[in-house]
Amino acid sequence: MKKYMKEMKLFWNDHQVAGYRLPISYCLLLAVPFLFFSCSLKKEKLPILGQREMNGNDTVYHTVAPFRFVDQDSAIVTNATFNNKIYVTDFFFTSCRTICPVMKSQMLRVYEATKNMPDVLLLSHTIDPEYDTVALLHDFADRLGVESKRWHFVTGAKDSIYKIAQTSYFAVAMEDKTEPDGFIHSGAFMLIDKHGRIRGKYDGTKEEEVNRLIGDIKILRQE
Amino acid sequence: MNCLQWVVASGLLMCCCTSKDMKFQQYFAQGQNLYETHCSNCHQKNGQGLGRLYPPLAGSDYLKNNFEASICLMKYGTSGEISVKGIQFNKPMPGVPSLTELELAEILTYITNAWGEEHEMITLEQTSQALKNCTPP
Ligand code: HEC
Repeated sequence: MKKYMKEMKLFWNDHQVAGYRLPISYCLLLAVPFLFFSCSLKKEKLPILGQREMNGNDTVYHTVAPFRFVDQDSAIVTNATFNNKIYVTDFFFTSCRTICPVMKSQMLRVYEATKNMPDVLLLSHTIDPEYDTVALLHDFADRLGVESKRWHFVTGAKDSIYKIAQTSYFAVAMEDKTEPDGFIHSGAFMLIDKHGRIRGKYDGTKEEEVNRLIGDIKILRQE
Repeated sequence: MNCLQWVVASGLLMCCCTSKDMKFQQYFAQGQNLYETHCSNCHQKNGQGLGRLYPPLAGSDYLKNNFEASICLMKYGTSGEISVKGIQFNKPMPGVPSLTELELAEILTYITNAWGEEHEMITLEQTSQALKNCTPP
């Protein structure tokens, strides 16, 4: 809306400079359909985030690098687990007392909202794999009351988790002993499409942002 | 704020004529701030907790029956299995060691009155008495 106001103003100023004195109602008349158009345009397709390269005439988009982790049922989770699936991913740790519990209650909303969507999965990585063992993650998921088929909580080598966070998902995750919980990490949720491309980034600690994510999942499923 | 909280809050506002009520008001409001800073991440804004991970505070029988122990665990943290409203919980809770006797009284005044139940204001005397008997883990 703000952007639209700015455009309106520019439009108005341009015309004043040009010597016209367009009545405001005329501007509105022009702007209203434009607004509708731009909204519907935006709703049709989600952006593809990250760097892109040209390969001949084809655009090559940033995709999630190969990974291999273990989930709460000791099952191996790789890119193949998400073959032909849309997934939402984040980084957390079970003993965290700051933003993670909020992220988990928000991710639980995504879990509930996608209950009847067999092509949508959730993937939460622990950034404290030394403490968050498979058994602990199992207990955590169980207490949260979620199915491991739909929501994988994974652990693995610390370096590979931090690396995939930073290079594949553009998320912040690192150890920092000066932080209250011992880690710095972002509360971001990332939306990944069926081709491993990043289609959205949301603040997983904010209800409105998570509402937007839930809306975007529906848009992405139309592709 | 949910509807009930509005009703409670506005109800409280209307009858704050004696100084005791004023003090209650003050504790309640401060308690809400402190709760939302230190506790609501886990126990949630509505005090309902989260699954079997974080126990509810709203209507908690544990809090009622283990009042002094609850004051201790807020400051020093706790671990081990406990039962709240018939459900078993077993995750460590980190305490908030910086909480003062006054702040504990404020938080307790808030959590025992915020979600549809009514309780007397929790006083400084009560929290300082309880803290004397804590065995910090
Ligand atoms: C990191 C998450 C977390 C935070 C933050 C937290 N708690 Fe807890 N709390 C827990 C867990 C987990 C338990 C259950 C402990 C157990 O299983 O032994 C618990 C138990 C309790 C209990 C006893 C059980 C019940 O539901 O009545 C009370 C009272 C309580 N917390 C109050 C607080 C207050 C007040 C604060 C803020 C000062 C707070 N907690 C902050 C996680 C948390």
